[in-house]
Amino acid sequence: MNKLLLGRYIHADSFVHKLDARAKLFLSFYFIVIIFLCNNWQTYTLLGILTLVSVVCSKIKLKFFWDGIRPLVWLIIFTVVLQLFFSSGGHVYWQWGIFRITSLGIENAIYIFCRFVLIVCMSTLLTLTTPPLQIADGMEALMKPLKKVKVPVDEIALMLSIALRFVPTLMDETTKIMNAQRSRGVNFEEGSLWHRAKMLVPLLIPLFVSSFNRAEDLAIAMEARGYRGGSHRTKYRQQVWHRNDTLVMMLFAVVTGLLIYLRK
Amino acid sequence: MQITFEKLGFTYQPGTPLAFTALKDVSFTIAEHSYTAIVGHTGSGKSTLIQHLNGLLKPTTGTVQIGEQVITSATSNKDLNKLRRKVGYVFQFPEAQLFEETVLKDIEFAPLNFGYSPKEARQIAIEQAQAVQLPTDVWEKSPFELSGGQMRRVAIAGILAMKPEVLVLDEPTAGLDPQGSREIMSLFQRLHQEQGLTIVLVTHNMNDVADYADHVVVLEKGTVVGDGQPREIFADPQWLTDHHLGLPQTTAFAYQLQQRGFVFTEGLPLTEKQLAHELAMMLKGGNNQ
Repeated sequence: MNKLLLGRYIHADSFVHKLDARAKLFLSFYFIVIIFLCNNWQTYTLLGILTLVSVVCSKIKLKFFWDGIRPLVWLIIFTVVLQLFFSSGGHVYWQWGIFRITSLGIENAIYIFCRFVLIVCMSTLLTLTTPPLQIADGMEALMKPLKKVKVPVDEIALMLSIALRFVPTLMDETTKIMNAQRSRGVNFEEGSLWHRAKMLVPLLIPLFVSSFNRAEDLAIAMEARGYRGGSHRTKYRQQVWHRNDTLVMMLFAVVTGLLIYLRK
Repeated sequence: MQITFEKLGFTYQPGTPLAFTALKDVSFTIAEHSYTAIVGHTGSGKSTLIQHLNGLLKPTTGTVQIGEQVITSATSNKDLNKLRRKVGYVFQFPEAQLFEETVLKDIEFAPLNFGYSPKEARQIAIEQAQAVQLPTDVWEKSPFELSGGQMRRVAIAGILAMKPEVLVLDEPTAGLDPQGSREIMSLFQRLHQEQGLTIVLVTHNMNDVADYADHVVVLEKGTVVGDGQPREIFADPQWLTDHHLGLPQTTAFAYQLQQRGFVFTEGLPLTEKQLAHELAMMLKGGNNQ
């Protein structure tokens, strides 16, 4: 859990860190869209270079990107294997019942693999270089247009920031309650699966109780100070669009043009 | 059970950029059947220290000896579990650990974990519910329906149900009203006197230290800066201020008297009784100027 949400942001003074969260968020999504334009090795190489340059510009060690990929290794292997054995078309190298390896299958497997790795690297780059609260702010800004169709954007953004804010608190609370129950003879590490599942009850119930209490306190505190979501709120953390943000957006536009030119 | 800390050191997240040394070179002894208060400024390492007492944390360096058992960084988790049975640990705001459907069920949780039969556990739960003076009509209620003070009693009963030899208390009266605090503190005092329980109390309340403890350990920045009887520790108000600690009310009053010329022959008194006694002696003897 720690790895997933919190330990992700790594502070450094780099070009990528300084980019606006909105730009980074938008480009991360945009990257996922344009990667589907790729259909030959030239186009994949182009996006590969783009990813590599971004990674290098972030001044973050490659190890952290590997940490991002690792949890997804099985998913990647599964998809690649599926592509490898079940694609049809092209020259057939090997066949056994419904399994067959074809030239097209190999090609597709390699492309799928590249697609996965590049997407994961880019999204990891976003979370590694942007503090969670900035991501929440960026989301809010990008979702603004949805207000027109009555999506409660402010409320969603508020929920997101509150959730992020309370992750560390909740983890402290979990440690505390685990320690308290350990002192009462609970052993969370040993015993059968059934026993361990049962031992989650003395952990989860107090956690729920304290979360509800905390949520209520927070709601009262916010109402007492007259909180209203909506358009008239100003922000403590201002988001500023710099020239570099525009430049990077233009770079991506150029890359898109190249992609369309290079693809089959 | 005697408890000895020997050159204890503890570092959070060692080997990472976030490494933080919470304790270093801590050595002192808690005698059997004593009532030891551990005091110190916020962040001085009190909580880290007492978590070593029942093996929630293992020393990074040095050893902790509790009774016969010696704990080092290499002690296995299984051995720690044995220790937890002998050392009852009442956490800060212990009511956060309640989870069962009824008060009695919650109290019998620990005995059941430690292998008592359901019948014995129920017997223990009833004894402990009486010991903490919970009215019988709440025994079958949900612990979440009770008042704050009663919830805390249930939680404490849940710890006492393990029949510990050492009771560790981390700010047991935080958030209680004065009467509730007094009742809880006199409950511990009774256990200490009647059952000979060794008590380790972490507190900010110097009045409690003066009233109950017979041994005080002062921590600062992860090291022991004071270790002795309450009278010795409270004898030098200036030293206490330097270490961000206050005086018990009575001692503060006596200190002001001393500065106005009173002479306390046996050092500054800690409790009202002692103060009254000394003042009476002085007034009779006519020592004051």
